[in-house]
Amino acid sequence: MVEKFTSAPLELPPAGQRFERADLIFYGVDHSGPSFEARVFFDSRGVSHGAGSGHRAHVGSFFIFGHNGCFGDIGHCDIPRERDPFDLRPAHQLEPALRVLTVTEAVRGLLERGLDEAKVTVTAHTAGKASDAVLGFETVRLATYA
Amino acid sequence: MSPAVTPAATSAPRRLRHRRSVRRLTAGQLADLRQAIAAAQEISDERGYQYLAGIHGLPLPISCVHHRELFLPWHRAYLYFLEKALQERVPGVTLPWWNWTAAHAEGIPEAYSKRTVGGRKNPLYDSPIQPSGRERPGQTRTTRAPGAPGELPSAEALRAVLANPDFLTFQTQLESLHDGVHVWVGGTMESIATAAYDPIFWAHHAMIDRAWYLWQLRHPGATLPPSLLDRALAPFPMTVRDTLDVTRLGYDYAASTAAAPGPGHG
Repeated sequence: MVEKFTSAPLELPPAGQRFERADLIFYGVDHSGPSFEARVFFDSRGVSHGAGSGHRAHVGSFFIFGHNGCFGDIGHCDIPRERDPFDLRPAHQLEPALRVLTVTEAVRGLLERGLDEAKVTVTAHTAGKASDAVLGFETVRLATYA
Repeated sequence: MSPAVTPAATSAPRRLRHRRSVRRLTAGQLADLRQAIAAAQEISDERGYQYLAGIHGLPLPISCVHHRELFLPWHRAYLYFLEKALQERVPGVTLPWWNWTAAHAEGIPEAYSKRTVGGRKNPLYDSPIQPSGRERPGQTRTTRAPGAPGELPSAEALRAVLANPDFLTFQTQLESLHDGVHVWVGGTMESIATAAYDPIFWAHHAMIDRAWYLWQLRHPGATLPPSLLDRALAPFPMTVRDTLDVTRLGYDYAASTAAAPGPGHG
């Protein structure tokens, strides 16, 4: 888990291609720890972990309502690696989450600046004294919709 | 039965109970709610507040469904069972909803933020946490640490979420707003394990449930994926299909309802 992550560059849609909506989709978001706000920035050279929603590169936030740790015995919060196709029980409580952040205007702004790719930076912020090193996800994808 | 999720216009409205905005409760309605919560707190078995609050998180198993496709149906069933338990204490009482998009001046509604009312403890201000429901020793009561009121989700943000025509996309984005309000309230509400012990939890989730209701009205005929409709909502003896129409559950968010038959299609 980390408190800040910057992705590899994501390719933007061609400048002439019309779209009505652009989403950043975060797959496989961990929610086993404390609740947190994830602040998302585009093209964020120089963004520090403490940068807030007023920063020029901030494009939005998503939130995770967390489990705040494991309260069971050893193995209780281990997500099974394989699932029996005949297992009709509900999925494990810590199966990762999906988050979608709509960033239409931000993508248009990048295109207007002549950019053809952008990195995504995410910073995590918990409340109180909990560590901010709670950010984990598998993939971030930029999708546009005509 | 059709899987369409729009509340039926022809459902008999007479016996439906109205879930109201917290801010629009009359003094009598608010007193009834407080009386119902206080009475449920006095019951130590499965009809009581502590048992029902514990279903969400601690004591194990954690039964709530978050970050998965049954988030809205499961919580609709959960609110239904809590509301039924309260109605056994005070007939006719309903869960109010906290419109946090309109709360940018006051934050936590006054009904829930006053420590005492009429010289008595306000049962909406906080709640005991049963020993098996605590994350750590000494966590005997719920607490809050709310953020600045202006940081609550805006009406514009909710409108954007409601505009999604696809249920799963709508639900994912609504859950992110929902998560943000849990983080905003802070304290006990910030942890899945303990959140439901705080009385504001139910008003927050009634708002989420209302948002789903509004989405259903705005997207008539929109459906949940058919593969979800017969899924069980453990531990409640209900399926997803059972939760689709709030009028079948005996409540409505509309202040009043009236229906008349149309010309038909003959």
